[in-house]
Amino acid sequence: MDFFLKKRKNRLLVFSGTIIFALNLINIILNTPMVADQHWAQKIFYVHVPSAWVGFLSYFIVMIAGFMLYIKNDDKWDDIGLASAEIGTFFMGLVLITGPIWAKPIWGTFWIWEPRLTTTLILFLFYLGYFMFRSFGGNIERIRRQAAALGILAFINVPIIFMSVKFWEPEIQSHPQVEMASQPEGILYPFIFSLITFTFLFIIMLRFRAHTIRLKNSL
Amino acid sequence: MLFSLISKELLMEFRSKQIILSMLIFGLTIILIFALSTDISYEILTNYSPGMFWLMNLFIVVLGAHRSFAYEKEFDAFSLLVSAPIDRGLIFLSKWISGFIFLTTTQILLIAPFFKLLLLDIPENLSLFALTSLLINIGMMAIANLVAGIVIRSNFSEILLPLLLFPLLSPLMIAATKISSGVINSQHYEMWNVWVLIITSIVVIFGLAGYALFDFIVEE
Repeated sequence: MDFFLKKRKNRLLVFSGTIIFALNLINIILNTPMVADQHWAQKIFYVHVPSAWVGFLSYFIVMIAGFMLYIKNDDKWDDIGLASAEIGTFFMGLVLITGPIWAKPIWGTFWIWEPRLTTTLILFLFYLGYFMFRSFGGNIERIRRQAAALGILAFINVPIIFMSVKFWEPEIQSHPQVEMASQPEGILYPFIFSLITFTFLFIIMLRFRAHTIRLKNSL
Repeated sequence: MLFSLISKELLMEFRSKQIILSMLIFGLTIILIFALSTDISYEILTNYSPGMFWLMNLFIVVLGAHRSFAYEKEFDAFSLLVSAPIDRGLIFLSKWISGFIFLTTTQILLIAPFFKLLLLDIPENLSLFALTSLLINIGMMAIANLVAGIVIRSNFSEILLPLLLFPLLSPLMIAATKISSGVINSQHYEMWNVWVLIITSIVVIFGLAGYALFDFIVEE
């Protein structure tokens, strides 16, 4: 097993990732227009939505890794699943922090039981239990298979959670929703750039974390 | 084979009465706590009662599902069970069906104390309440037995089971509360049929997932 940055490809990824992320931050702070009724609060959306996208993408990859472990029975997929679950939970935590920060000045309250936020919270809590399960589990071989099953169950439950919260109390969710697709170009393009940057960051983080997990398991 | 496995579960429970008795006593204790801690008007309590009813069921399901698998841990009976030359999905199905029978039996015994001790009226359309509760019980037990099957052989399984189960059960809890609320308040079926569809989809998805994944989960 090598040091992560020993590989040229990884060095290139980390270097370009750092540059792109720095550019993204500068772009968000300096270049994006101020929205009249939201001011600085609106800029959180360039972090909040990409974080949510990466969070759900991570949990989707946990499910795919779970299916692959089920089919191929190769431990490599468990490393990817665990790495993806950790990264996903980090980003979901970020969503749960940035969401209320934005909601307070805009909606006048820190929290509403909005379907996307509620689904995020439920998944976040589930994955905290998932990590406890992996830590306390016992037999590592068995835990790998069972964690894969949990990852599959968590993601197939997402549409059910979303729909049930959506139908739950429609009057609670009557706050205006932000439709990014209908935003002016000055907001839309930086938002898409931020989305790409966060996805790129996720790929680097996934490679790094899967590498360190493999390294740890090989000891 | 499925019939033999269900018979085994029912016979064990018939002899020991551990699951139903512990669920029943725990349920009664929860009702007592609810009664003592809710100093609210009859109208508000009536509105809250479907949620409280399913909350009580949620807690007793954790107890029942854990106990149902904890039996098998003794003398490592679970390892012997999974090493038998049978389709392991059938083990899940037998636990699911027997769990459903235990939960429904306990509910029948708890329904009168729940409404009477909380000084509430028993629902007028009790048959519809019972019918919808059966569907909810099937969904609850599908998820509970699947998660219990996953965590039972890990350390601290009694802690991990609710931690993993409650988030997965949250859509079912919303649906169960909405259905029971609709039935108690004599709302038209159109008002709550979407929740029946949601629970049906939970039963199908988790039933199939449980049957397909159980072999993978319990493999030694």
